[in-house]
Amino acid sequence: MKLIVRSLVVALAVTGAIASSYAKAPTAKAGKTSAMPVPTCAPGSGSCGFGDW
Amino acid sequence: MNSISLLKALGYLEVILAAVALLVLLGRKQLRDFSALSGFLAVRISSDLLLTALHSHGVRHRLGDNNAYSCYFFTYWVSFALESVLALLIVYGIFRLAMAPLKGLQTLGMLVFKWAAGISIAVALGSAFAPHMTGVNYLVAAISQLQRTQSILTLCLLLFVTFAIRPMGLSYRSRIFGVSLGLGIMSTNDLVQSAWMAFNPRMATAYNSINGFVVCAILATWFAYFALPEPKRRLIVLPTTSPFLRWNQISEALGDDPGYVAIAGVPPEIFAPAEIEVMRRASIKMVTPFPSPAEQRVTASSAV
Repeated sequence: MKLIVRSLVVALAVTGAIASSYAKAPTAKAGKTSAMPVPTCAPGSGSCGFGDW
Repeated sequence: MNSISLLKALGYLEVILAAVALLVLLGRKQLRDFSALSGFLAVRISSDLLLTALHSHGVRHRLGDNNAYSCYFFTYWVSFALESVLALLIVYGIFRLAMAPLKGLQTLGMLVFKWAAGISIAVALGSAFAPHMTGVNYLVAAISQLQRTQSILTLCLLLFVTFAIRPMGLSYRSRIFGVSLGLGIMSTNDLVQSAWMAFNPRMATAYNSINGFVVCAILATWFAYFALPEPKRRLIVLPTTSPFLRWNQISEALGDDPGYVAIAGVPPEIFAPAEIEVMRRASIKMVTPFPSPAEQRVTASSAV
């Protein structure tokens, strides 16, 4: 049990570390963990396919 | 079921699970210990309801697509910023609860955490600046950086709680661990999503479905941890050579008000008569001469 939990946590941390190295640009966007789609376009520059889903 | 119907269903399930987890948390009277988590869940429920309403056909028809999108945009990013700050407060609260038996380390750790979080937030806001950055783009970039900072701090906390769980008298069934685990999964997913969006910057992608399943799993985990009875904290027995104990003692001593000693300019009037009497008697005893080296040798040989 202890080994499984520790392995899971280490896997989460390593995955997070690798993923963060792919999104280092200051302008790289993030999104919250939610089923709601992420609004990536600025308002006024089109609705980014808002009505399509 | 197509992907849009699946996303909508996951969105409703997310709201229901968040509401149930919040109700169980309140029902178990854990609001004092997990106030930041309660705030996080409340913000998530209200923002999801608002976003779902803005996305509905009726509201879009009434406001127009562009206006509805603007409202959706600002609701999403403002709630995201609030959730990131609340997640930092959850991490802070979990550390405080986990380290409660070791007061010295708790105080030191909380001080270090405050500085680390403050500097990280300042760096996140500063590094979001880029040439030709407009206000809205800066808002999005700053919130994204803040979220990444919070995710890294959360993963550090999760590693700490997992590996130091036994010296703190906790078990993997403790709510402290359950909340940390859920937050850690959320942080990893946020970072992966951030990397995904660097290559697929579209509003609706396949990742939304993964997000939906992950958040439902996290909320179900929190619900289970708060619904099930929590085992009592074990008696913490540390060996006298334990580094935890030593560091705790050192940390407790740090910042204590030191004692002071008067070394000059002490008038006799400041002493009470009883104190003067004690000092006088002590001085009389000290007048007794010490034995000379020859007398000491005689005493030692007679003892043998």
